[in-house]
Order: sequence, then C-alpha cells, then structure tokens
Amino acid sequence: MAEHRYDPVTGQYTTGHSWDGIEELYTPLPRWWVITLVISFIIAIIYAALYPGWPTTRFAFAGLLGWTSAGQLAEEQAEARSEQAHWRNQIAAKSVSEIEQSDELRTFAITGGRALFNQNCAACHGSGAGGQQGQFPSLIDDDWLWGGKIDDVYQTIAHGIRNEDPESRQSEMPAFAEMLSPEEIAAVAEYVATLSDASKADSRKALPGAEVFANNCAGCHGENGEGMREMGAPRLADQIWLYGDGKDAVARQVAHPRMGMMPAWKPRLGDDAVKMLAVYVHSLGGGEK
Amino acid sequence: MHTQVPTALQTAQTRALRTGTPHAASGKFRLTKTALTSFLLGLYFITPWLRWTRAGESAQAVIVDIPARRFYLFGMEFWPPDLPLLLGLLIFSAATLFFVTAYFGRVWCGFTCPQTVWTDLFFGVDRRIDQRFGRDSALGQAIKSALHMLIAVLTAFTFTGYFIDITHLGGQLATGIAPAAAYVSLGVLTFTTYVFAAHTRENICLHMCPWPRFQSALLDSETLVVTYQSWRGDPRARARVPLRPDLLDIGNDGPPAAHSYLAGSDAYRGDCVDCGRCVSSCPTRIDIRDGLQLGCIGCGLCIDACNTVMDRLDRPHGLIKLGTEMPAEPSMATAKRTRPRILRIKPMMFASVMLVSGSAMAVALANRSNVDASLEHQRQPPFVKMSDGSIRNDYALRFTHRGDDIASVAVTVEGLPGAAVRLSTSDEPSPAFICNRRSLSERVMVTVPMHSAPQGRVPVTVVLTERTTNAPLARLETYFWGPGGAQ
Repeated sequence: MAEHRYDPVTGQYTTGHSWDGIEELYTPLPRWWVITLVISFIIAIIYAALYPGWPTTRFAFAGLLGWTSAGQLAEEQAEARSEQAHWRNQIAAKSVSEIEQSDELRTFAITGGRALFNQNCAACHGSGAGGQQGQFPSLIDDDWLWGGKIDDVYQTIAHGIRNEDPESRQSEMPAFAEMLSPEEIAAVAEYVATLSDASKADSRKALPGAEVFANNCAGCHGENGEGMREMGAPRLADQIWLYGDGKDAVARQVAHPRMGMMPAWKPRLGDDAVKMLAVYVHSLGGGEK
Repeated sequence: MHTQVPTALQTAQTRALRTGTPHAASGKFRLTKTALTSFLLGLYFITPWLRWTRAGESAQAVIVDIPARRFYLFGMEFWPPDLPLLLGLLIFSAATLFFVTAYFGRVWCGFTCPQTVWTDLFFGVDRRIDQRFGRDSALGQAIKSALHMLIAVLTAFTFTGYFIDITHLGGQLATGIAPAAAYVSLGVLTFTTYVFAAHTRENICLHMCPWPRFQSALLDSETLVVTYQSWRGDPRARARVPLRPDLLDIGNDGPPAAHSYLAGSDAYRGDCVDCGRCVSSCPTRIDIRDGLQLGCIGCGLCIDACNTVMDRLDRPHGLIKLGTEMPAEPSMATAKRTRPRILRIKPMMFASVMLVSGSAMAVALANRSNVDASLEHQRQPPFVKMSDGSIRNDYALRFTHRGDDIASVAVTVEGLPGAAVRLSTSDEPSPAFICNRRSLSERVMVTVPMHSAPQGRVPVTVVLTERTTNAPLARLETYFWGPGGAQ
C-alpha cells in the first residue's frame, strides 16, 4: 500500500499512487454520501423482496407482501363502501319515495346519483340530462314517455326499455308503411302536426287524416293525442317532438318508427345505485309528484 | 498599572463561559418583561378555555374549525371569503411592528416575540431549579428536562386546543379517537417548543430569525435603542482605580456643559468597572458596550443589571440606557443630544400604512355581508322546452349565511317578463326556501311562456330577499337563454 504524501502545492494529501511521476490527490467521497448510497442499496433490496418486480419467463415473483395495485384498489373501494354503509343501508332498506322524504338521505342520494349519472347515463342523455334530439329523451322536461313519478322513474332505470329483462318496458309501434298508403300517411302526418296547436282544435277535424288517426293511432296515442304511458306511446299534443316536429318528420316516424331502447341498470349497478339515480333524475326539474 | 489586573469579565472569559441561563436582573425592564411574559402566556393558555354561547349552545369562544372552514372569535364568525380581512390584518400588524421599531428599536424581540416569551419562561424555570439544587446537580438537570418537556406538551396541547374543542381534546387524545392532525400538531409543537425554548434558545434569534437582519433598515439615528454611554463609561477598569474627576458631578442626562474629557488617561477610569453584569444577564449573550448590533433584542435587562451595579457604587443610573445610538467616537456635542423628535419621516410613513390598512380593514369588517350567494347557469342544455312550449332555464344556487336571523328567503327574477320561478325542493307558488341549514345548494328553475321567450341570450337578475321583512339579501346577475339566436 502506497503511503499518503503531503502535497505542498495544493495543501492536500495524495493517494500515494504514482504513474510516470504523476500522482493523484486523495479526495475520497464524503462519508455521508457513501453511507447514503449503502442505505439506498439496502432499501432497494428490501423493496425488491417485499414488492412484485422480478419477472421470469414463466411467472413473476409476487413479492413477500403479496401486494398488487388491483388489490389496493379493491381495499380502498371496500373502505369507501364501509364508510358509506350507514347511508347505503338506509337507501337499500327504504323505498325511493321514502328516500325523497328524508332530507339527509335525499342529499346523499342526489350527490351519489349525480356521480352515477355522469358515469352511466350521460353518454346518451347528456351530462345535464337534456337528452339528444332525435335520439334520447330529455330527462329534465315535463314530458315522460313511461311516467315521471319517482316510482316510474325507478322502474324504468332498474329494468330498462325494450330489452331482455323480463320486467323491462315493452311496446312496439308498427311500421305503417306496410299498412297504409303513402297518401294516408301524408294525411295522418298533417293531422298529427296540428295536434299541439290548440287553435286548430276545431278545424283539424275536417282534415282527411282525422279518420286515419282515429282508426290506426288513437288506440295507443289517445283520441286527442294525449299519449299512453303504459305503452310508452308519446303524447302528441305537446311541443316536444323527440324525433322531430313538422309533417315530414312525423310521416317518416309513422312509416318507419324509431323506438328507443335502454339497458336494465339494476343488474349492473345494484338496487341502491338505481334508487339514488332515480332520486337524482327526479330532482332535475321534470319530476312528477 | 491597573490594566494588567484582569477585570471580572476578562477573568470570566478566560474560563469556560457561563452555561445557558443568564443571570437574573432586577429593575423596571425586568418588571415590564415579567409582566408582559405573564400576560402573554396567560392569554395563550387561557384563551381556548373561554366559552361562548353560540346558536344556543356553549361553545369554545375562540376556535378555528378547520373541517367546517370557520373561525370563531367570540361573537364573530369568519368564513373563507373573509380571508382578505386576514391580509389586511397582516399588513396592519407588519406596519405596526415597523412603526414601533422605528421609535423604540426591537421591543417586539425583547418582550413579545413567542421565542422570547417561551425562552424567558424556560430561563425562569432553570434559575429556580439551579437555586434549589445547584448548577451541577444531576437531579436538578433531570427535573429541568422534565419541566421543559411538561411545558412543551402543555404548549402543544393548548395550540391544538385552538382547533379542536379543548374541553374534549384531552379525552379524545387519550382514547385515540382524535383526528390524526391533532396528534401531529401535538407532536410537532412539543418538539419545536422543547428544541427551540429549552435548547436552541437565543441561537434562534442570532442565527435563524430574519427579523434582526433588516433592523438597520428600520432604525434611524433617533430611534431609542439600548446604548452604552461610552463618554461616561470609558476607560473601563476595576473599581479600585480612581474615577475620572470630570464624572463626579454628572446627572443622568449627559455631561454638564463645562466639562472636559480626559481621553487617553490611564490614571483614571470611567463609570464602567467591567464587572460583566451586562453580558451575563443578556439573554443573547452579547456585549452591549460594543454598540448596537444584530444580537441585541432590546429587552433592556443589561440596563437593569448595570443600574444595580451603579447603585452599589453609588453612581447615577444610565451608564447603559435607552437612548439614541452613540457614534463610535463620542464627543460632548453628540452625547448631549436633544430629545429625539416625534415627527420623523420613517415612522410617519409606517403610520400612514397602518392608517390605510387599518381603516380599510375596519370598513371591510363593518360592511361584511352575512350572506354569500352565487348562481350558476346550467348550460347543458342551455334551455329546456316544456310540453306547452314554454322555455325553462335552470340555475344552481349556492347560498350561505352567517346569522341566525334569516328564516326564509324568496327568489324572484327581474328583467324577464312573465317569468315564473320554481325550486326543485319546493312546490310553493311563491318561491321561497327555508334556511334551516346555514349553507345549501338549490336548483332554481325559471320558466317563461312560449311566446314571450327571448331570442338567444338576455341578461336577467335573480333577487334574493328575506321573506318576512322583505330585506334584500343579494342580487345575482346571470342570463336567460331562449331558442333561436346564436347557440
């Protein structure tokens, strides 16, 4: 081992090594730095042992703690659920109208329902529940295809419309293109287009479409176009036209009807979530008492 | 020659310097400091225990309720929107601090800074233990440490008690149901109090605190600071050296006019006998005779110590005194300065900042509204068409109020003929909502008939009034969107 030699020029010691007369100053790494490095090595080894991170061709080492990110998510979700259990249990035990009566439960249901709505319903009905003209009905107006009372809304969300669920809302409007002549369709469309105008209540009776309507449409849509909610037959005597207003739009709908469908949400989200959604939708301004 | 005989201080400096606790001084500065320390500690420790009847229930008079975001100060209640008031208070406090400093030097440091107050408390504890058990007693040291820790824990507990009802805090902490933040606060405050007041002490002032660093920017030549009157004290020597004859007939206010300074004489001494009392009683261990310096916190304990010695020597007080800064080379002219002027530019500027920020804060406090309301148009969709063709716009209303005097609020709309207002939780024809909660959000629905619906966007005002007294609460500017127009 070479000896450290004092170098008077720099005032430091040398390593004592000499190559062709060239010497190196002895400037070791600071002690604290070396200790830190060693500690971080130790931490890295412990970490690698505790957590997953060593893949092989056939399996991956799972780590001594058995930690997974999915497991952590499940844990946190379970924790969140247990924190909500007090409210969730009450929601599960009570009917939707009872939930609405209770100030506390109502607030909880509306808050939870808003989150659920944005995740599950907003894709079709819009984030503000305003629907989409020609596609999906607005949930904030006062026109309801299947009923706007809280129990009706709950039923519709839980079981959906025109799907495989045995309790889903079912109905079908026939395609009148096969039953009526084009002239009759044009006539009934003209008649239907006047239904929402009260000032034409008398004059419309003379229209040629009146008889066609009475024979073919009134059974479901009502004699005066008031609609029938049991059938999901929309009210025609109002200003809200999901598939477009005016003669042409109505004629298209008569000839080749479009009918919405909606999945059943109870199997997907659970009963308490559907209840919260119902309370939320019912609070949006169109809810009927 | 007398200079070869070491003075008391020189003797002390050759040995190890004294340990942490400075010598006790007695006099009017010590009295003032004791009174202020007691008052401030009492204020700190007693305030959280005061009760106040709030909403019919006994509650803590002064408390910061972090989960609810409320600050209660006796009958007053502050909400997050009141934060600008805090800004005003801070500006006012800073200006006051500068103002006082410009006149009296660092009295904040010397008397009221928490570091000073707690350090003084710990010094007091140490002195009593030292008197009782002796400076080197192991038992005494152990008792000291225990008492330091006890005070630190009590300090931390009291601090936490400003955020969680202190009457329940002890039980909550003991049973483990207190919030995690309470334990953290208890731990951190115990640690900082123990370390800062029991161990680092004056080193905080000397090495950590930024405040002394700009004292020279705040002081002027007429600021009253603790000064050693070198015209009178020098040359320093032991008491047996004869006193300068010119000092025999001085008063407290300076040298008499017909007076000559015997500079450079070794045969006589000034009034300073270099006993070192001013140094040993100094909480920051400085020698004030070196002149104004960063380490001087302006507490005046050296003045008390020196005056005691002057009494013993039968000499007038004021060798060290609260005076204007002395120049390095004392002369009769500067020593016999007239009293400092009151009206000086620097403190007056600070005073004007105090006046502006203080009055702005007072006006803001007086005009503080008890109501906080906001209205947000629900733009998705911009409007809703109803069955009868009428057009509805929805708004999210957030409403909070501080007082207990509002029972019911009526919501009406101005600027929109034929508009009807409905609330999602109420079926009443005249829209109103009951404020049984002090903070609520509500969906407000404004409907106009088909034929009076506006084209595009029009500005409207939603007005909130107290329902029984008709007192206006808030006017919220928003808009109403009708069909047609640019969407």
